[in-house]
Amino acid sequence: MTHPARKPTLIRLFIDSVMAHRLLWALLGLFALFPIVTIIFDQPFWNDIAMRIMVLGMAAMGLNLALGYGGMVSFGHAAFIGIGAYSVGICDYYGLTNGWAHFAISMAVCAGLGLVIGILSLRTSGIYFIMITLAFAQMLFFLFVSLETFGGDDGMSIDRADFLMIDLYEPLRLYFLIWLVLVIVASFLMFIVHSRFGVTLRGIKSNEQRIEAMGLTPLHYKITAYVISAVICGIAGTLFANWQEYVSPDIMHWTRSGELMIIIILGGLGTVAGPLLGAIVFLLLEEFLPELLHLFAPAYAENWMIIFGPLLVVVVLFGRGGISGLITTYMPKKSDQQVRHD
Amino acid sequence: MTSPVLELRGLNKSFGALRATHDVSLAVMPGQLHALIGPNGAGKTTLIQQIYGAMPPDSGSILLNGRDITALKPAARVRAGIGRSFQISNVLMDFTVLENGIIAEQARQRAAFTFLQPAFTDPSLIAGAKIILDRVGLLARANQRVANLSHGERRMLELALAMAASPSLLLLDEPMAGAGPEDSRRMTEIIGALHKDVAILLIEHDMDAVFTLADHITVLVEGAVIAAGTATEISANDDVKTAYLGGDPQ
Repeated sequence: MTHPARKPTLIRLFIDSVMAHRLLWALLGLFALFPIVTIIFDQPFWNDIAMRIMVLGMAAMGLNLALGYGGMVSFGHAAFIGIGAYSVGICDYYGLTNGWAHFAISMAVCAGLGLVIGILSLRTSGIYFIMITLAFAQMLFFLFVSLETFGGDDGMSIDRADFLMIDLYEPLRLYFLIWLVLVIVASFLMFIVHSRFGVTLRGIKSNEQRIEAMGLTPLHYKITAYVISAVICGIAGTLFANWQEYVSPDIMHWTRSGELMIIIILGGLGTVAGPLLGAIVFLLLEEFLPELLHLFAPAYAENWMIIFGPLLVVVVLFGRGGISGLITTYMPKKSDQQVRHD
Repeated sequence: MTSPVLELRGLNKSFGALRATHDVSLAVMPGQLHALIGPNGAGKTTLIQQIYGAMPPDSGSILLNGRDITALKPAARVRAGIGRSFQISNVLMDFTVLENGIIAEQARQRAAFTFLQPAFTDPSLIAGAKIILDRVGLLARANQRVANLSHGERRMLELALAMAASPSLLLLDEPMAGAGPEDSRRMTEIIGALHKDVAILLIEHDMDAVFTLADHITVLVEGAVIAAGTATEISANDDVKTAYLGGDPQ
């Protein structure tokens, strides 16, 4: 190894890190350029799909820190997306329309709630952990169903937040706000997973007993990762509400927690780019499979899940490491170490 | 007179009517290799678990270098100076040998809670990890994935991780279990070399290894100490023969 003894600069670290995550940055680059495609083909609707992919991909990236890196199978992360979305709705209701304030409130509430739920749930593991996180999420779901002030079951429509200089109703403003936040979240995760904290977390997933026998307290690392993942899902929820201009308890339905897990497994568990890739494939299939089916077998267009389901099974069975695993296997590799980084 | 590294005072532990640990007192002196032997079900692992902190005793106290650690959790006891290996080989399987060393090194430095600089390319961690691996002769295998190691090599790696933080006491729970004759011989050699630096409490069924290595042997039967002494004293002890041969003193 030929590493200089002095501490590398932040810029050097960033460049090294980007080089080790080429797949991730290629995807982020594609999203930056995608609006050009929609302009050329005059299909502004495509931007809507891209925004949905980025937001759900971001949430899945957050969950992946707990699930893929920490081995904590949380079945309740949709609740944090919901909290993030309702932060916009409820603040709006009381006249607070500043988007930055929405972000701050969403992050703070998700951190606090993530800490409480994390401390309580992480006393258990395995199937009990899955059930307890689901139970907490269902509690929050029914809480919002019962809150008539905020629309109850029907939800509430909201105006896009006020970001001072940026008017989110102008074309592409929201698109690039989402893109920018996604880049920040991705950079943050890219650093975390290779940091001392990150490798300890992966060590805990591999063998919690050994990490404890090294004198570290695994629970501290797991709770920290859980809280970070909750906050990222909250941020995604806040963006989701602005995109949809509407929020209802549906956003935190338990099926969305499952959807996030499918996205992660599809894209590649425990990789930074995986969840984003998974979100692209998952949501594109969800969007275009019915249309495709409509062309070939119109009578079955509504039953597109009959094809979707087996497709997921095939990827999970034969593509260990998900789609990103397949890509890194067939991409030219620099060294053995590099392979595992995307 | 030097003071003991580990001292157990009147330790008791029962599971219902079963007395797994029955008024056990013993002392491990600095530089000593203290073997704990006894037939299956004698309560050896239960005792180790209490020393490590994974199981609280019903009564009695545990002192490490004169400090009462009875109330501490395992991670805190490790920080106080206990290293251990487990009955079933216990290393970080999804990593390379060097990465195992790096994770142990950052735990040793007590600086594992940072979020920015990548750990696996950090020169200070790599240097520390190499020292950790070199102790058991695994440096040449540093870039191998643990999954590719032989059973014996994994045992060595576990020993290296247990020794990483230079503990004052090493708990070894059947380090020879499942090892072939060649691995057992090497393990005996390495444990013999290690114990110049650290006091060791060893549970082992391989009597050749025990009688080669141990300065002091404590024999546990049905949770209680029935004999303690040097290897020659223990091999001549009638109670021990009875316990091992099945209650038939001619």
